[in-house]
Amino acid sequence: MIRSFRGGVHPDYMKAPQIPVNVVAPPPQVIIPMIQHIGAPAKPIVKVGDYVTMGQKIGDNEVPMFSPVHASVSGKVVAVEQRPHPLGEMVMSVVIENDFQDTPCTDLQPLNEFELKDPDAILQRIRDAGIVGMGGAMFPTGFKIVGGYGKVDKLVINGAECEPYLNGDHLTMLTFPEQLLKGIELLRIASRLDKAYYGIEVNKQDAIDVLMSHDPAKYGIEIVREKVKYPQGAEKMQIKAVTGREVKPGALPSGVGCNVCSTRTAYAVYQACYEGKPCIERIVTVSGSAMNQTANALTRVGTPLGYLAEQCGGFAKTPRKIVLGGPMMGICATSLEAPTIKGTAGVLFFTEEEDKNVDDPTCIRCGKCISVCPMHLEPVFMYMYYQKRDFEKMAQYHITDCFECGSCSYNCPARMPLTHAFKTAKIMFQERAAAEKAKLAAKEAAK
Amino acid sequence: MSDKQERIIFDVAYQPQVRTDMDTRRIMINVMIALLPAFGVSIWQFGWKPILLVIASMASAVFWEWLYRKLMKKPSSIGDCSAALTGMLLAMTLPASAPWWLPVIGSFFAIVVVKQLYGGIGKNFLNPALAARAFLIASYSLKMTSWSVPNSLAAQVDGVTMATPMTYLYGGQTMPVYLSMKNMFFGMMPGCIGEISALALLIGAAYLMIRKIITWRIPVSFIGTVCLLNLIFGHSGYTNFEWMMYNLLSGALILGAFFMATDYSTTPVTPGGHILFGIGCGIVTVLIRYFGSYPEGVSYAILIMNLCAWAMDKAFRRYQFGVSKEDIAAMKAAKKEAAGK
Repeated sequence: MIRSFRGGVHPDYMKAPQIPVNVVAPPPQVIIPMIQHIGAPAKPIVKVGDYVTMGQKIGDNEVPMFSPVHASVSGKVVAVEQRPHPLGEMVMSVVIENDFQDTPCTDLQPLNEFELKDPDAILQRIRDAGIVGMGGAMFPTGFKIVGGYGKVDKLVINGAECEPYLNGDHLTMLTFPEQLLKGIELLRIASRLDKAYYGIEVNKQDAIDVLMSHDPAKYGIEIVREKVKYPQGAEKMQIKAVTGREVKPGALPSGVGCNVCSTRTAYAVYQACYEGKPCIERIVTVSGSAMNQTANALTRVGTPLGYLAEQCGGFAKTPRKIVLGGPMMGICATSLEAPTIKGTAGVLFFTEEEDKNVDDPTCIRCGKCISVCPMHLEPVFMYMYYQKRDFEKMAQYHITDCFECGSCSYNCPARMPLTHAFKTAKIMFQERAAAEKAKLAAKEAAK
Repeated sequence: MSDKQERIIFDVAYQPQVRTDMDTRRIMINVMIALLPAFGVSIWQFGWKPILLVIASMASAVFWEWLYRKLMKKPSSIGDCSAALTGMLLAMTLPASAPWWLPVIGSFFAIVVVKQLYGGIGKNFLNPALAARAFLIASYSLKMTSWSVPNSLAAQVDGVTMATPMTYLYGGQTMPVYLSMKNMFFGMMPGCIGEISALALLIGAAYLMIRKIITWRIPVSFIGTVCLLNLIFGHSGYTNFEWMMYNLLSGALILGAFFMATDYSTTPVTPGGHILFGIGCGIVTVLIRYFGSYPEGVSYAILIMNLCAWAMDKAFRRYQFGVSKEDIAAMKAAKKEAAGK
């Protein structure tokens, strides 16, 4: 049975899983930002002039919701300073001059047979290896698993890869099926569950066949075939398709007993536990109309985007836009010097070709945004009240339930900036809530 | 690497970075394509006259739109092709015998009065083509109701004009033999140029549905309601099924249901609202046909329901993802309790 959810769109997929993974030569200099996860930023624990080995921990913190950062090459630290972060702003980063020796760090050793069955050991390793949600959200995986104890009865692995262009998950399934299944098994053991569900869109039938031939049941994994539809890989849609449960508005997936991890996260867990390798590289799909060719590049974390583009065939045309992640939810980077990070599944260089915005968009009330909204919202009215800044009505129309999947904007024939407006509105709501809180606090203080 | 490359300023466009190819202009062009089979049938039945009417109507509609925007110093909007579509739809509702200047006046009313004065595309609350038709019927009733004899029936009918099936059905006369259901299905009947062939219209409608420009909700609930009510109430002199089929195939019901009642701006946007709108159109159509002095109820039914579209959207609020049946029941109970106190 093929499962799915209600709503969603069918963008042009532009995928190229037939292109084999090419290993990008590590750059002469890597820039490793201290923010590569949701939570408190890491503090650099190395100084300029220090020699670091590949995989050595260079950023640490003591707070619980946190994930350490590791060096992705060996060499000398040449700078610890503010550098452009791919998601905007300047962020404290460690810059390492590559010595091209790739001298491995011996801090993390492969886990032994007994540790591989011990939830606590696996969990500790997931934390030490700096594993975060590599689908793009970059939520610390260890924190997610602990948060699920006692609440979660179903572990869902996300293999939908519903964003156009991206091929990393698909290629991981094809190239490392057994390792991937072992990685999922480790996540399952760490979550103290008997079974994990692996949701894969049926456009990856070849990958499903390969995985089935490795007997997923042996690892306590059930593969669920899903309809090809965006945003099938969104956490809530994935849970709906696999378990039939609907996450309540404003609640976490653990509220319905589910935790979702991405394919690439599972593979990173395998590498951390079986090979003692921290989270320092991933497959990045480099594509877009400005590129000469599409590449599925195995890339070290911290590779500057300009260098990556050069290594993957160079530009055919001058790019106008750099998109990190998929084109639907991806965020624009503003500098070719910004590095890739753990959550970068793709880097797309676009020209005007993809830009379909118009100067003076006018809604024609077609209602297509309503029929595609996976959250069953009514974007046409939300946008109307947003333009009037009518916060009461916006709340009535549940604008804060929007998770910015972009389906409404994608499907809008009039090219209304719907998703962008809702994102802005959500920030305004947060600001209002903060202001309210400050006011209350001031009142309390006055008393 | 950074030495070689000149500094490029990158766009920070809002997400999503890709968008569908189906924009407003393409939708409008697709609807015009969907009208082509019906247009073809009209040429087959009425000769060159429909061509003249369609050209006069489309050209004048585009001209009025351009002129109004120019005079008001607003950016030109003829590029979205919606004016051309309005012109084509208006021509489809005229009899083949209409003079060429009739659509020119009609499109002025449609484009300037109904559409642009309310702010242009997406802001008008009445279907421009149907409002213009209503205006023309009020102003030039004779010219709007003289129906040319279609070519296929020229041998059986004397004279140059004839009555439409609606007149026979509701005038108490028996249906002539040449107005058989088969003839009506293929387009061998008198009527306005776009309505005569059910088959051609259904082909166009199927095209629109395949391209996902319209959904089944409004047309099916509209036609379904009309059929159901006619089947129940019937009419003396006809079996109930015959009566239903005649009512389905004549009176521009199919043209109205698939091409007029699905107009984006003037109909509800929510799925529930669509169904309610369709049912409302159906009920009003049947009421006008049975009790009105004017037998052709479809256009007025749609115009009347256009005025209710906004309220229908508000009537059918959807619950967002994650709200279960129990939650809704709990919400209702809480509301009741609050009201009781």
